[in-house]
Amino acid sequence: MGSSKQLTAGCAMNSNWLKKNTFHYSEFKDIVRLVDEKTKKNLRISLCLPTLNEEKTIAKEIIIVKSELMSRYPLIDEIVVIDSGSKDKTRAIAREYGADVYRADDILPHLEKFKGKGENLWKALYITKGDIIVYLDADIKNIHHRFAYGLIGPLLLKEKIKFVKAFYDRPISIGKNKIRPTGGGRVTELVIRPLFSLFFPELTQLLQPLSGEYAGYREIFEQISFPIGYGIETSMNIDIYQNWGLEVMAQVDLERRIHRNQDTKALGKMSFVILNTFINRKVQLGLIKLNEDMYDEMIQYNLVDNRYEPDCLKIEGHERPPMIQIPEYRKKFGISEKSILKPVKA
Amino acid sequence: MNDYLKEIPGLVEKIKSLKDIIITNIVLIGQTPAPTFKEKKRSKIFMERLVEFQVDECTTDGYRNPVGIIRGSASGARSPIFVIAHLDTFYERDIVHDYTIRENTITGPGILDNSLGVGVLASLPLIFKALDLRFESDIVLAGTIQSIGKGNLRGVRHLVKTWPTPIRGSVCVEGIELGRLNYYSDGMIRGEIECNISEEKGVMHQFTPNAILIINEVINEILNLRLPHRPRSRIVLGKISGGANHGKIAYDGTLGFEIRSDSYKMVKSIYNDIKDIVEGIRHENEVELNLKTISNLRAARLKFNHPLVKSAAAVMEALQIKPISKSTESALSIFLSHKIPSVTLGITHGENNYMENATMEIEPMFKGIAQLIGVIQAIDSGVCDEQQLA
Repeated sequence: MGSSKQLTAGCAMNSNWLKKNTFHYSEFKDIVRLVDEKTKKNLRISLCLPTLNEEKTIAKEIIIVKSELMSRYPLIDEIVVIDSGSKDKTRAIAREYGADVYRADDILPHLEKFKGKGENLWKALYITKGDIIVYLDADIKNIHHRFAYGLIGPLLLKEKIKFVKAFYDRPISIGKNKIRPTGGGRVTELVIRPLFSLFFPELTQLLQPLSGEYAGYREIFEQISFPIGYGIETSMNIDIYQNWGLEVMAQVDLERRIHRNQDTKALGKMSFVILNTFINRKVQLGLIKLNEDMYDEMIQYNLVDNRYEPDCLKIEGHERPPMIQIPEYRKKFGISEKSILKPVKA
Repeated sequence: MNDYLKEIPGLVEKIKSLKDIIITNIVLIGQTPAPTFKEKKRSKIFMERLVEFQVDECTTDGYRNPVGIIRGSASGARSPIFVIAHLDTFYERDIVHDYTIRENTITGPGILDNSLGVGVLASLPLIFKALDLRFESDIVLAGTIQSIGKGNLRGVRHLVKTWPTPIRGSVCVEGIELGRLNYYSDGMIRGEIECNISEEKGVMHQFTPNAILIINEVINEILNLRLPHRPRSRIVLGKISGGANHGKIAYDGTLGFEIRSDSYKMVKSIYNDIKDIVEGIRHENEVELNLKTISNLRAARLKFNHPLVKSAAAVMEALQIKPISKSTESALSIFLSHKIPSVTLGITHGENNYMENATMEIEPMFKGIAQLIGVIQAIDSGVCDEQQLA
């Protein structure tokens, strides 16, 4: 983008997408139809829950999805929990309620070990068997099976769709067990939306690009790289958009999701990681050039005994390569090296 | 021994195999707030679940109590059996109804009273199918609205009063405590005494009265009342509130109480005594002091040797549950006052009832459900048909 002449987003973007590829979960409420379609297409579907100390919510997520979409209707074939090393009872509870539980460190153990949500999602590709993989955050307080079937629906019923993201109202849980009706999504509105508006205006049509709930075909996920931490959603959106185009993407209104409120400092750290990921992606794609390296520490300050003390968070920005490049994965799924296709933008 | 009694212990494990679905029903229903008079959303979810589990009919009655019907093999020839649980809870909508499931517990507001009961009710059609159980009578599954507090059991009163056919018998389902076998209810009046000190211009007090002290005076007078040993009677002072802050005279105060007795006549007599106390203190202190009735129930009972009570006790015994009988002020009394044999049963054990961290135990629930099924089978086998209520 030249500095003297700025593009106008309205001209640059395909605004039909929002109308055409935005759905409401209730459009996919007919689970019998989804099961029929899945059977007809001979597909398997895996649900992956990445966890770190989620003992309060994990059982509820497993049991509701299992009851409604496994026991009653065979839509989902497996529920897999990939844990980053919880210190609480997350793994024991998840096992008790019937999920397949793995420690991230035990998967592909010869690789260097990292901790982070992106790492768990990436390793889930190796562990799960599904042709479609549904990723749900494990801290959803008001979990309902619509979170899963709403994301699976467009993948089964809409021919071109390969990746579906959730959006919702975001009431946030505040002190004393009360909720306030609106709020949340601050990092989206203050960081990611301005960035998308500046560089990828079409992606602004994703109403909640940072939502932690999405589903897609394995053939998509296995061909993109995964930052190990918070940046995963940002990079995933950009990579899928860059490689296959907006037409393979869809978003589904799941209505209401109650999540934990995070303080401004925590959101600051999250924003730092997202900015880091975003800028790195731009550089990797050859879209911008940095004249010097970026620093890798987020510096915040705390007032301690009338003194300001720095609170530094080092972000190493590790990124896992596309899973399809991992020999063990290719072996497990019977993929020959030759058959690794480069994605082509639709 | 009746055949169904022999088979009841064997049901527990089979019911347990449906654990995921039963817990899901409890959580999906319980996480939908349903304060009294605002039960519409929970009612909708309850009906959705019944429809999904393919009850033969699902509708609301004229008072909007959601009702599902499983048709019996002798539907029409036999009167229906009612299984009910009240939908409403004490918690307002702005409280996060967030349930936490752990290895053997579920915690969350309203779980014991009575999301658990409603969740189990919603699961019954599926459980009946899984156990291959069929009944002669229609089974009417009703989630009643406007039950607790100021609701004054309006939902169930309407349901029973307007049901077009005789009712063979009923079971009221409550979350806790497993082992309860309620077959009688005391006469009861719940009331509220409100004191308001007028701040209006022109109202002159030599010394501004304090609403809390006025309420205190009322309490002292109530405590001076002599209650008879026979019929058994008592007054529970259960709720109090008032004032605005520490350093200001309280301009308002409210006392909630409940009078219970074996005899409704005695309840009314005590109520009149309290009314006299209120009028006297109002007059002496020149304050606004009012008494109002929140809800009332007439005393009603099954005899302890009624076949339904005996059968329910036998079912519990078969499951090694020790029955405990106490009076209950609930929907039971509405059925009994319509001369419909009824009992109230609890489903599991729990703690912190009426608190936001109310917690139910999962494991005993399966026995509790087996017990409920056993009692329905007993009614279907005719234990309520032989002996009408006096």
